[in-house]
Amino acid sequence: MTDIPTALAEPGPQETPAAAAGAGAMIVFENVAKVYDPNVVALEGASFVIEKGEFVFLVGPSGSGKSTLIRLLLKEIEPTTGRIIIGGRDLGRLPHRKVPQLRRNIGCVFQDFKLLSDRTTSENVAYALKVQGESRNAIRRKVPEVLGLVGLTHKGNSYPDELSGGEQQRVSIARAFVNHPPLLVCDEPTGNLDPDTSVGIMQLLYRINRSGTTVLMATHDREMVDKMRRRVIALEDGRIARDERRGGYASE
Amino acid sequence: MLGEAVRSIGANLSTTVAATMTVLIGMFLLGLVIAFATYARSWSDDVKAGLVVKVFHDRDATPQQVNALRVQLEKNPHVDKDRIEFISAQEGLAQMRKERPDLFGTDLPYNPLGPAWTVYPTKAEYVEEIAAAIGQGTKAAPYPAGVHNVTYGKEKAKRILKVANIINAIFGIAVLVLLSAAAILIANTIRLSIFARRREIEVMKLVGATNWFVRGPFMLEGLICGLVGSLLAVILLFVSKEAALPSLLPRLTSDPDVQALGFWLNAMILLGLGLLLGAAGSGLTLRRFLRV
Repeated sequence: MTDIPTALAEPGPQETPAAAAGAGAMIVFENVAKVYDPNVVALEGASFVIEKGEFVFLVGPSGSGKSTLIRLLLKEIEPTTGRIIIGGRDLGRLPHRKVPQLRRNIGCVFQDFKLLSDRTTSENVAYALKVQGESRNAIRRKVPEVLGLVGLTHKGNSYPDELSGGEQQRVSIARAFVNHPPLLVCDEPTGNLDPDTSVGIMQLLYRINRSGTTVLMATHDREMVDKMRRRVIALEDGRIARDERRGGYASE
Repeated sequence: MLGEAVRSIGANLSTTVAATMTVLIGMFLLGLVIAFATYARSWSDDVKAGLVVKVFHDRDATPQQVNALRVQLEKNPHVDKDRIEFISAQEGLAQMRKERPDLFGTDLPYNPLGPAWTVYPTKAEYVEEIAAAIGQGTKAAPYPAGVHNVTYGKEKAKRILKVANIINAIFGIAVLVLLSAAAILIANTIRLSIFARRREIEVMKLVGATNWFVRGPFMLEGLICGLVGSLLAVILLFVSKEAALPSLLPRLTSDPDVQALGFWLNAMILLGLGLLLGAAGSGLTLRRFLRV
């Protein structure tokens, strides 16, 4: 399960001293800034390294740059300045046609689940595999396996609107994780869920992290962050205000 | 991928049906236009082919004068050299007896006609020039010695050529307008379809679908729209041809040389164009609205 697909694991030929320094790094941000037109600074001077296997909370008020950071990771947008290296690959030098390959190695979980409402749980999960050209046999094998992992074995034939919010989020985690990507990025995965359900989701993410997957989770959930005591990167007005090994939601 | 396309067509049935209907109407009209345009063209070609220059000699024209004219005609580059027909006075009389028995009855004291030439131009447009080239004389004696008259159906020729040109131009414009309309409508339908499925596209990109995997179903949808639309148009054309032609036929010229483009060739053109339109329409939209 901890096998890291070569696309992310092998450092490209464009490797630099900085990237080499963090050879075990999953994510490297080097002085990254993003300025939207006209002159809206979303992110500024962001530098940090996230090692393989870490569990990192990304906290900060709305508009502090969390979503921008995540979109930069997925190469949905390009940084105005600075460098982003994921699994040894410099995103700035990643050609456009290789972007799908990058995204296959990053599982994504969002606050609004982003499930397809006209497909069942199994079909939603299978979709991620189908898109990547997986064989029918592999799909038949992998989907029940991951549904078992998230505890939805019995809901395979349900449509999203027949599921609770927590269940829908589990489906979306299953879809993100069905490929066993080395990196899982979550944008407020518990934002729409009640506290009890959130705990279940967090436990699931924690389990996934323990299997070796790096997890980066943007969140507003103060209680959760304080309880888990993992690494916290806090953003404020587009700048990194805090980066603590075992931090809480607010500075102490 | 075909499965995805079919699924997406099912999910957006109304827009897809709308696009298909538009292609159907456009292609049906285009089929009619092609049929009528080729018919008109064939008809005008047929009339044009009948345009000839006739040269009538005097009754007492000498063989030298007749020969001189032949030499002159053969030198003219606009004259079809293999089709310079000599009609002797006797042949002319026999012909006229057949055509106008009231004037050329059996009991004529003498043959009033001289020898004549029927000259075919290389192109119908040249009849006037050929006639002018023969008649290089003064106003009092407009023709060379021994030539009595030169005719080429001046007004008729001009009118026919003009009508044919106008018909061709109008049909050409109509075809162009219809084709662009159909392409734009398909493009618009695909845009609606993209818009209706933007969530699905978002998910596709998130899970790392390649550009072609995202585009493919839309591309196929456009192709299917174009193909099904033109297929229905062909069926409709066939039905209306079977229904309408019997009542139309008596009114049309019975000349077997005047023909519209064969139905099945027309159908193949429509189907090919339908595919092309589908591809062009969806390609156009995908480039603009589906930046992956």
